[in-house]
Amino acid sequence: MHTLHRRTRREILWMVAPAVLTLIVFSLYPLVYSIAMSLSDSQLARPFRAFVAFKNYTDAVADALFRGSILLTFVYAFGVTAIETALGFGLALLLNRESRASRFARTLGLLPFITPPVAIAAIWRLIYDPSSGMLNHYLVRAGILEQNVAFLGIPGLAMASVMLVDVWQWTPFVFLLSLAVLASLPHEPYEAAAVDGANTWQQFVHITLPLCLPGVLIIAILRLIGAMKVFDLVFMLTSGGPGASTQVASFYIYKTAFQQFKTGYASAMTIILIIVLTILVTLLTVLYRKAQQRYGL
Amino acid sequence: MTDQAFAPPLRRRPPRPLHPMRTAMRALRWVTVGLLLAFTLIPLIFMVTTSLKSPIEIRISGSLIPSEGIFWVNWERAFRNVPLPNYLLNSLVVGVLSTAMTLLIALPASYAFVRFRAGGRFLPSWILGTYVAPPIVISVPVFMLMRAVGLVDRPFGLALLHMVANLPVATWMLMDFMRTIPTEIEEAAQMDGSSHCGVLLRIVIPLILPGLVATAIICLILSWNEFLFALILTYSLRSQTFPIGISEFQGEHGLQFGEISAAALTGIVPVYVLALFFQRYLIHGLTRGGVK
Repeated sequence: MHTLHRRTRREILWMVAPAVLTLIVFSLYPLVYSIAMSLSDSQLARPFRAFVAFKNYTDAVADALFRGSILLTFVYAFGVTAIETALGFGLALLLNRESRASRFARTLGLLPFITPPVAIAAIWRLIYDPSSGMLNHYLVRAGILEQNVAFLGIPGLAMASVMLVDVWQWTPFVFLLSLAVLASLPHEPYEAAAVDGANTWQQFVHITLPLCLPGVLIIAILRLIGAMKVFDLVFMLTSGGPGASTQVASFYIYKTAFQQFKTGYASAMTIILIIVLTILVTLLTVLYRKAQQRYGL
Repeated sequence: MTDQAFAPPLRRRPPRPLHPMRTAMRALRWVTVGLLLAFTLIPLIFMVTTSLKSPIEIRISGSLIPSEGIFWVNWERAFRNVPLPNYLLNSLVVGVLSTAMTLLIALPASYAFVRFRAGGRFLPSWILGTYVAPPIVISVPVFMLMRAVGLVDRPFGLALLHMVANLPVATWMLMDFMRTIPTEIEEAAQMDGSSHCGVLLRIVIPLILPGLVATAIICLILSWNEFLFALILTYSLRSQTFPIGISEFQGEHGLQFGEISAAALTGIVPVYVLALFFQRYLIHGLTRGGVK
């Protein structure tokens, strides 16, 4: 029995060994390396030129562009998550029954979020184009706009335009997952409510919404985490511009490290970003646990 | 109790007499589907029609429908000016390689997590936790590492990073599928003297095959679409993938929207074909894991 147990243990060790090795090389090592590099004066071609202690960090905190990029990342991520969750869950409620319309919507909903973001950004660039774009073409014809607008060339509007592409890409994802949440609801509360004479609206407010909350919260958290990573849409649509009005954290760090070659400074910004994200995710986890305790099945 | 009582609450309700409220709801539903359809499809349709417009028309009109007839010149130029087949081949190599590596690592690990609680709570949370980090946070150290071992501008180097990026997704999905298998089946096989690896290969994998297919396809698509690591790690036609090809397009030749549309479509179509072909697996795989 003892030998069998040992053999089992060794086998299990081998099963997880490749995953552990991957984590050490591509997660632990980069973290240690980034911390070391963030304390040094480093260039892409000449790393670790001198030890500068926390200079990169004090620079980053003082850098208005960096603080702005974190703020823009939050605006982007929370903005698109709110819109996509509201729209996606709303659509799921509306189409939550077996019908031709809902089956069609489900197949169609699969397409946007598997479309290569770079490819879809290329076409949105033409849609937004100030001289021959489709949006200008139709909005001017319909009399909504008096003259062509540079959707990607005006601060604020540029951000909204990039966010609209994210909404195009990810609302269907929220919709599909929301349908699954609705399908997993238990039947008993509805039967009890029907016996008590609750109408459809009361059932919706007092049963459907609370029961869906934990599931929808998970979907929203997934989207928030995904949206915090935004890079390709910004790279393709605006390159962070006009000015720095769409320069999200990923893009600013990329620019600093791979276009200006200031890897030491970029590493300090990376560590700060990791700390900010860790705090955010911890808060979200607490929020989810609370919702789960209160409304969970 | 009849079967009716067990039907999901909001679906397949028995038909009720028509009611103004109900008719309004039905109208609202169709209007919504219509708007959704338009919003989703118009950019895609615009991409197709732009690729078929004459280059002059593209420059002067943003109309959805070509008015001067259909031209194939954008497609010809896209393939002549840009080595699209080369990019697509690189994408395919990187995608298949990274998906194979991801599954090879995630399968035994998720089995050990689910059945033997290997690594307790710490190890699975570490793997899943890496999903939270934006790819940019490891890009500098990983670039240095890849340069040191000579894997920059190599399909294998990029595939390694796509494996790293997809490992949490694959582990999450596979763990979820494995939890659905009753332990009795595996225990019976163990009594017959199979090793754990034998059980994984001969019992578990066949049982979760649909889930495995879904996981593989999602990894393949994620790799096909990935941009940041490809941007940092590939320099030449030896390893540049399709998204890099599209982004280069804009730099080198000015904004030739017709050609860009044709090129972009060439990379989108394989993904759509794959997704529609495996639609059932995909929807099942996506909606099972995410929600609980």
